[in-house]
Amino acid sequence: MMTATPATKMICPNCHVEMNHHCDKLMQATDSPQSTHQDEAVGGVLEEFHSCPNCGRGGSRPASD
Amino acid sequence: MDANRPLFIPVILGTARMGRMSLHVARVVTQEAGKRAGVETEHIDITRLPLPTNDAGEAIKDTGYSAKIDRADALIIVSPEYNHGYSGLLKHVLDSCLKEYIHKAVGIVGVSTGPFGGARAIQNLLPVMRELGLVTIFWDVNFSNVQKVFDNEGKLLDEAFIGRTEKFLKELIWMARTLRHGREHIPLDESA
Repeated sequence: MMTATPATKMICPNCHVEMNHHCDKLMQATDSPQSTHQDEAVGGVLEEFHSCPNCGRGGSRPASD
Repeated sequence: MDANRPLFIPVILGTARMGRMSLHVARVVTQEAGKRAGVETEHIDITRLPLPTNDAGEAIKDTGYSAKIDRADALIIVSPEYNHGYSGLLKHVLDSCLKEYIHKAVGIVGVSTGPFGGARAIQNLLPVMRELGLVTIFWDVNFSNVQKVFDNEGKLLDEAFIGRTEKFLKELIWMARTLRHGREHIPLDESA
């Protein structure tokens, strides 16, 4: 089962507006397993990527947060 | 909303070899990119990045390089072909970031002293680009027989490369604009 998308929006630290969640990526780190966020179903850490519609700044967080 | 802010498209010179002809190529490409309205560019020489070689990956991230890639809307990689591949140092540098590349455009300029213009190095780079989250364009520029394309001072001798670079930049800029709009406005999950 894939991890559900968190309902909370990331907020741009520059502009304080809601950022756009535009992708999820499977991170397959070999040197730092980040075990607290490992998703066995997908075989790694699923990371969300967000961008600010105002300034373009990017942000990311583990999808399971 | 500042949708009209300039695109930032740095040019990465992907070799450390002494006497590298790719330096001349990178200068030409940076110069041409800088002429485009609404585009800001910068030359990133990988030999100037203070990355250690006793570790690898995001653990050795350089804050300056990271900030430039984070700001970038697209990248241009100038890569020579060494033994049918790209340089090891280029991979070392590229691997030092990850989230900074996601959903950004990339165009690759190949360089070789032979007739194929770095085509094999470019082909080897494509799967790396994909895993980094970059979106490749279908235009490349291939500087084949590069020793005949520039004089000893680095002056471009064959103006045909300017036209080829223009085509490449048009496609890259279109992709950069499109992906910027997507990153900033199109949600992954429309129902969220």
